[in-house]
Amino acid sequence: MISTNRIERFVVGALLALLAFPVTGHAWQEGDEKKDESADKKKEEPDKWFVVKNAEIHTGTGSVLRDAMLVAKNGKIDEIGHDLDVPPDAKVLDAQGLRVYPGLVAISSAGLVGQATSDFGDTVNPFNSNMILGLATGITTTGIGNAAVKLKRFSIKDLVVRDRIFSVFSWSARNPSGKRSLREKFQSASAYLRDYRAWEEKVKKDKELKEPQKKNVDTTVLAVLKGESTAKFNANERDDLLGIAHLAQEFGFRPVIEGCVEGWTVADELGRAGAMAIVTPRDRRPKDEALVRDGGSSIENAAILHRSGVAVAVVPGTESVDLGGLVGRDIMHLPIEAGFAIRGGLPEDAGLASITTTSARILGVQHRVGSLEVGKDCDLIVVDKDLLHYEAFVQWTVIDGKVVYDKQKELYFAHIRPRADAPAEPKKLDKGETEPKPDADKPKEGEEPKDGEKKGDEKKNGEGDGEKKGG
Amino acid sequence: MVRDVRMHTSEGFTPGLRGPGSGSTATRELTTIVRAARRSGRVATTAKALAAFALVLATSSDALAQRSLDAQNRVVQSNLPPAAGERGGPGLAIKAKKILTVPYEGEQFVDNAVLVVKDGKIEAVGPARTTPIPAGYQVLDVGDHWLMPGFVDLHSHVGGTFDINDTVYLTNPGLRVQTSVVPANEMFKVAVAGGVTSVLYIPGSGVNCGGQGILLKTGLEHFEEARIRMPGSLKIAQAGNPEGWTVGVGRSLMNWNTRDMLKRGKAYALRWKAFEEGRGEKPERDLEHDVFRDLEAHRTQISTHTQMYQVVMTTITMLSREFGFSVYIDHGEMAGYKASELAQENNVNAIVGPREIEIPTRQFIQWTGSNPEAILGIAAEYRKRGMKDVGFNTDAPVVPQEELLVQATTAARYGFPTRDLDTVRGLTIIPARTAGISDRVGCLQPGRDADVLVIVGDPADPRCAVDTVFIEGKKVYDTALERRRW
Repeated sequence: MISTNRIERFVVGALLALLAFPVTGHAWQEGDEKKDESADKKKEEPDKWFVVKNAEIHTGTGSVLRDAMLVAKNGKIDEIGHDLDVPPDAKVLDAQGLRVYPGLVAISSAGLVGQATSDFGDTVNPFNSNMILGLATGITTTGIGNAAVKLKRFSIKDLVVRDRIFSVFSWSARNPSGKRSLREKFQSASAYLRDYRAWEEKVKKDKELKEPQKKNVDTTVLAVLKGESTAKFNANERDDLLGIAHLAQEFGFRPVIEGCVEGWTVADELGRAGAMAIVTPRDRRPKDEALVRDGGSSIENAAILHRSGVAVAVVPGTESVDLGGLVGRDIMHLPIEAGFAIRGGLPEDAGLASITTTSARILGVQHRVGSLEVGKDCDLIVVDKDLLHYEAFVQWTVIDGKVVYDKQKELYFAHIRPRADAPAEPKKLDKGETEPKPDADKPKEGEEPKDGEKKGDEKKNGEGDGEKKGG
Repeated sequence: MVRDVRMHTSEGFTPGLRGPGSGSTATRELTTIVRAARRSGRVATTAKALAAFALVLATSSDALAQRSLDAQNRVVQSNLPPAAGERGGPGLAIKAKKILTVPYEGEQFVDNAVLVVKDGKIEAVGPARTTPIPAGYQVLDVGDHWLMPGFVDLHSHVGGTFDINDTVYLTNPGLRVQTSVVPANEMFKVAVAGGVTSVLYIPGSGVNCGGQGILLKTGLEHFEEARIRMPGSLKIAQAGNPEGWTVGVGRSLMNWNTRDMLKRGKAYALRWKAFEEGRGEKPERDLEHDVFRDLEAHRTQISTHTQMYQVVMTTITMLSREFGFSVYIDHGEMAGYKASELAQENNVNAIVGPREIEIPTRQFIQWTGSNPEAILGIAAEYRKRGMKDVGFNTDAPVVPQEELLVQATTAARYGFPTRDLDTVRGLTIIPARTAGISDRVGCLQPGRDADVLVIVGDPADPRCAVDTVFIEGKKVYDTALERRRW
């Protein structure tokens, strides 16, 4: 799949045949080291080219290019089109018969880049197994805590795309004084901002004029009104949603509403307020039987919100990787959750957007990720079929023009519908990983009976071997 | 309520009992009452059905029976005729782009097809070109949508009130979950929109034998019409769950005690069998063990909450091999698939879920991934080891009742084949056949109940919503008339 120029081939030719994950891992680690050495040296380095060819490219902006190519230079998308020139030393990924999508942007997740939600430079574990499962899902960027972070495997460099995105507020009918005090904060901040803007104009003529007093102005609210951060609410009930919509319209900001379960009952109001919603289509909330009006959860929530102009991002019910086995509702099933929004009537393209472009927009990182466009980061996934189909498996995940996940080289899913080009005997260890693995000896199976029937035990061993060989 | 009444004004409505359920005295008495009411020309009413249901709930005391008859006298008249396809109504022919008929054997689907329904039963199914539609039948064309049988879930706890986990004794073969049924309850109403039309409502797994389950139709509003078969199964939970609910029991005592119950039950059933064959005296009726007569005659099955390898082994060796009862793996998950061949040899089917994946070496507790292993699909592993009939269950409300399809979705995602409509079969005919009710539900074949989904496409794809649901020819969900429930 991945080829290099002729010289490199000569040098590492024999190695290539043996090693499953030849160039990317090594080359890119070397690259990192070089970068670390000195900034000057970096400039002298040759450009790094990455090419995907023969792919059906779903750019995420609505267009689909068949049998197309994507060329990335130094981690940024350089060109997308047909019959493009392949730079001589480019790493080429042949995606014949496969589809390319932008890397998914999980609006929020937990545990994919370690357990902490801030100070990622210190706390991220780039060898985290949950990160691999996140990449296997196709997630390349995720909102976590108050930041947008890339799933940069093996490295912690430049993984934060944006920090301090949201200002989180509470607006709840259960806390009327809280609502009043938030309103007052918006009022005073808004008045201050008006005075300040007026002062800015007047001070040009009258240099002596005193700047308006910032005393008692809530800086968080001020940041929202100045557009420096995004107001985020967690609200589900209709009355709260209406209150947020009115607040937003009155003070002129676009709220992000997480939950938004009853949003479908007030979708027009939310649309007029320019609200953006983070929804879980399978959220279940019974209708309050005391009310005559519509209420409770609806599978149509995302669709109705979308029709009313609310930007909708989808997040699964469980934001972390859940291997408990009750599958289908954790972060590993992000596209399946988007499928449920489509079940409720959301158009397919909006369904794809809900886990790519829209979530990138809500996180304020749409200039870097979420779609495949020239100038954006080369974060993409190669998938064996329609991404939103339940059988679709991510074959490769690429971040900044580097392959960081290859289904056939990892142990988690290599055995499921193996790729045609896959080696007959998958390697046990990932070549990209530098950390020595714990011994691969067959661990004791707590679940296996020690006193079980001999026949069963024999079978188990036989099958165990078979699985590894068969792949 | 008028809409509810309609059903009972129909001539063809027969609240008679089916199958082995007639063993219960309360229900037999109920039948007598209902039949008497019909003979005397009274129009059956919702009140009657409610009273009848109250009667079932409350044993067969005479005072209650009298009250129920009084209730029947307060007749609510309705002039709404039954709709096309329903019992007593005109016939209904549904045309569709594709009909997934999914019989156990034979052709699994028909393109450009028509399904002919009369009196709640399927009369014919076949290509629209060659299948005649009798005169006077109403024709419904659903365009590009597909038709398929309603889903069958063999592990559900949301059929009524939640007091289904009596944990006083370890084995309670005489307890019947039917006393807690709330037909067409709120969860069932959503389940219908998820395509689930039949469920096995069973006691919990707090003890080794929680009692008898009941097979129910989800969308029908009255107990008598909702019941498919009673007893639907004898629920046995072999291990893995009861220890957590009951103080001080271990595997050895549980197995000894369960075997002891089976031994007594089997002996009781054999005494009856001998009597019925004229080889012995009439045994005294023993309500605790009465269900074993149905088990011995294979009129019902043991649905076994069994999951770990050695527990599945016990299911096969004890329940099937040793006692010869019809039994299936219910709630099949974890490494139980390793006993797949033996299960297949003993005709023990696997109904898989709610867990659909397995991390082999660390189970699912505190798995860190530091020792890399593959993520295995449980249904796929059962199939890989030769299990022919693999179905899916939810354990609702652990997985919401309406999300039965997600069990098929994830099974397929993690390697279960889809080529021969395996996921569709696992939602329909396989569980129906496993529970012995494939003569009524699980496939669209002449003579079967008209439990039909009008669906956008592949039922295992969450994107494909269910548009309309018929149960026994009666339209119980229609997105043209109401908001999508799910």
